[in-house]
Amino acid sequence: MSAGALLLLALVSLTLAMLTGGRFARTWLGFVLVAAATGSAAAVTVFATGAEWEWQSDFRVGGEALHLRLDGVSALFLALLSVLGGGGAAYAREYWPDEHYPDSAPRGRACWSSLMLCMGLVLLSSNGLHFLIAWELFAVSAFFLLTLDRQRREVRQSGWLYLAASHGGTLCLFAFFGTLAARTGSWELGPLRERADLSPLFWLALAGFGVKAGLFPLHIWLPSAHANAPSHVSALMSGVAIKMGAYGLVRFSGWLPVPAEAGWALLLLGSVSALFGIAFALAQSDLKRLLAYCSVENIGIICAGLGLALLGAARHHAAWGQLALAGTLLHVWNHGAFKALLFFGAGSVVHAAGTREMSRLGGLWRAMPWTASLFTLGCLAVAGLPPLNGFVSEWLIYLGLFDGAALRAAPLGAVMPPAILLAAAGALALACFAKAAAIVFLGAPRTKAAERAHEGGAWMHGPMLLLAGVCLALGLAPLAFWPAVASASRAWNPTWVASEPPAPLAALSLVQLTLACLAGAVAVGLWRKACANGLRRGLTWDCGYARPTARMQYTSGAFAGLAAGWFTWLLRPERLLHRPRGLLPARATHIERVPETVLERVLTPVAKQVLRASTATRRLQHGRLPAYILYLVAGLCALGLFVLLGGRP
Amino acid sequence: MMLLELIVRLALWLLLAPLLPGIINKVKAWVAGRRGPPVLQLYYDLARLWRKGVVMSTLASPGFIIGPAVAWVAVAGAALLLPLGAAGSLVGFRGDMLMLLYLLALARFCTSWAALETGSAFEGMGAAREVSYAVLAEAALIAAMLSLCVQTGSTALATMLAPSGGAGAVLLAAGLFLVLLAENCRVPFDDPNTHLELTMIHEVMVLDHSGPPLAVLLHCATMKLLLFALLLTQAVLPIGRLSEPANATVLAGGVLLAMVGVGLVESLLARLAFRRVPLFLVTAFLLCLFALLMAWKGGRA
Repeated sequence: MSAGALLLLALVSLTLAMLTGGRFARTWLGFVLVAAATGSAAAVTVFATGAEWEWQSDFRVGGEALHLRLDGVSALFLALLSVLGGGGAAYAREYWPDEHYPDSAPRGRACWSSLMLCMGLVLLSSNGLHFLIAWELFAVSAFFLLTLDRQRREVRQSGWLYLAASHGGTLCLFAFFGTLAARTGSWELGPLRERADLSPLFWLALAGFGVKAGLFPLHIWLPSAHANAPSHVSALMSGVAIKMGAYGLVRFSGWLPVPAEAGWALLLLGSVSALFGIAFALAQSDLKRLLAYCSVENIGIICAGLGLALLGAARHHAAWGQLALAGTLLHVWNHGAFKALLFFGAGSVVHAAGTREMSRLGGLWRAMPWTASLFTLGCLAVAGLPPLNGFVSEWLIYLGLFDGAALRAAPLGAVMPPAILLAAAGALALACFAKAAAIVFLGAPRTKAAERAHEGGAWMHGPMLLLAGVCLALGLAPLAFWPAVASASRAWNPTWVASEPPAPLAALSLVQLTLACLAGAVAVGLWRKACANGLRRGLTWDCGYARPTARMQYTSGAFAGLAAGWFTWLLRPERLLHRPRGLLPARATHIERVPETVLERVLTPVAKQVLRASTATRRLQHGRLPAYILYLVAGLCALGLFVLLGGRP
Repeated sequence: MMLLELIVRLALWLLLAPLLPGIINKVKAWVAGRRGPPVLQLYYDLARLWRKGVVMSTLASPGFIIGPAVAWVAVAGAALLLPLGAAGSLVGFRGDMLMLLYLLALARFCTSWAALETGSAFEGMGAAREVSYAVLAEAALIAAMLSLCVQTGSTALATMLAPSGGAGAVLLAAGLFLVLLAENCRVPFDDPNTHLELTMIHEVMVLDHSGPPLAVLLHCATMKLLLFALLLTQAVLPIGRLSEPANATVLAGGVLLAMVGVGLVESLLARLAFRRVPLFLVTAFLLCLFALLMAWKGGRA
């Protein structure tokens, strides 16, 4: 079937899913899965044929003719949307079932399909007005999904924050598309690379899409929204919705000319975002908040890669720019896959133990071996370790940075600080995810609830297994996915026609594959040797301490304390400490919280001052006529004085 | 042919690595006026551990044994990526130096994971220190790699390491030597002799390991030491300009010299207070950074 027919099928089944979602859970799931399959098939068609799909009609919406287009870039994001949308829908069947949530589950299903539909339309629409409409509907559907559990106060709060921040971004996008339409005379979108006068518009796009993507310091809405949403929603939001911001940046930096500083700005913002995002993630003790901050890091890596690609494009289409773009595009997929896997894993943990606080978990591997091993796989991938997928894309971006630096051309020396920042961020990510996996799944259960935890069922494992498979496949055989990357980079910049994968990538995948096989073989061998020599179970030795308790284990805060201490100037942790006193201490508390610095230390005080100023100004307006006449007279007198003293009106 | 080379190289790495701690201990004994343990002591220890049974904590998952295995494979893989003077590297490709760094990171993740399996506060402490200090060490290493890359205009280890470190070689040597001490948990960052203190990194992470997994972890640590010594030697000395026999001699001499240096540092210095460790690592980073600046300003090798 052609891409058009497949997309039509996906559209119809998503619409049907929206209609049936309220009542019939099974039919809904069927329709969503059909849409996911057809959506990814359409993307694969575009990758395989290398030709973009375009469809124009005379039918008008809002006075503009419909114009849809699926090229390499949008197909890449569409494939991600399809896989995560379908996977999340299957996961929700067990995670958010009608029996437990009779009120919100049907609403969640309807919103889920509308969110998928709207994001699909954002990817397809090739008209500024329709893009904005789809964008707005997508933001609103996401709001309703985030606040499914709206009885809880913090859920409502984070929902409102998301909506407000999202609309702040949309405002910039209105300005962006409006100015674009005014300058070009039409709402039609498409390649306009030779119109150099349009390049300042990039800054508007950066602000608008940056909010949605969650770039530091525009990420204020992201941690609370992702932490408080149901886990399948967090997975879709983190895996796909924030990628819509990245899509906007990739799309319009490809279609429109960009200012000369754009590449540098993105590279700097991206690497700072990566470092700060992961520093915040490390300091969190809430599992889902940790994952949310890690999204800030990964979006940073994506933006840094895109910035490098822009620099490469500006310098005679250098090969290192193409490497960086390939890394960026692959990282979009990689982050989607492992982050959704991690959020599904976190969802299973919340489902089993009823809390996201890492200090109340521990020792879950015994009750949840599947979740523990899949979550650990996700952790290895997100920390960018070989032989998994995160490493491949980060390696491509690094290679771009190093190749750029090796040229020793004067301005390119500035790519070296981002390389060092990204390296530090990578090492911090390792610390962060060693902590997340180990504190939650290893050691002894810290509470009764963690002790009673139970494994989820097949509907929860299935999507996790699928995503783990994607992570493995992208890591071990990146060459198989090269046609998609090549087609997307061709759509981004038509002069970059290199369809051959870079030579080192083949060597890399060979090494990765060998390593994975060897690691498996040696692990089995060592296990057998240990068993043959005699394997005995005993109490943790702990330097001879005979009665260890679960509360003596290292906690998440203790583990992160050392490295997070270097970022106190940024994190500003709040401590509440009541030391034990006296011979028989009754009570002692130690509570530590890491606030969202930008929101609570910068934005909230400013907003409070603005509110105070407006309250003060409001006293001037009280409805008493004599006072208004006094204002008029005073104003006239002031004007008169101004003129008398020689001012020109 | 390639398979044969692989086997020879792997055998060299596996067999020679446990020699290094023996050399360091001999140097320390010599400085202190003792006779010290035999140079081959670690071989005896490894053979003994390999035959022993395993005691596993009741809390530990199979990851307790898989972790050391994967860490060992990762370090061995990194070792095979490193070129050996004139022999070049086994599988050299552009960007293999990043693969090397990330394989070491994988080993770090796995050893920390295995340490955290036991739920012991001691081992949690060690793992936390290991992963935290690695942040600064990694920044220093990337700066060092960047300086080599800028100097040679290449991103493959074989060509990056062939010429000498150039003008910044002294700075690079100092920086990489500090990173070697930190990454291999030697004095002044850590004390490999103590066992029961709150101030250790590597030794405290293997407290609960026994038998073959402990042997694998110890062997893995020696391979890492040899890897860093070789990296340091090749980054600083103009290996590529020498004839083949001279090359091997210089490599061996460089590693020996590095080990004597480690032994002397261990004999003459006390362990740092823990809050000083980051300061020392930042010094290593700054040394590498200055080497990078000199490479940027200096001529191409």
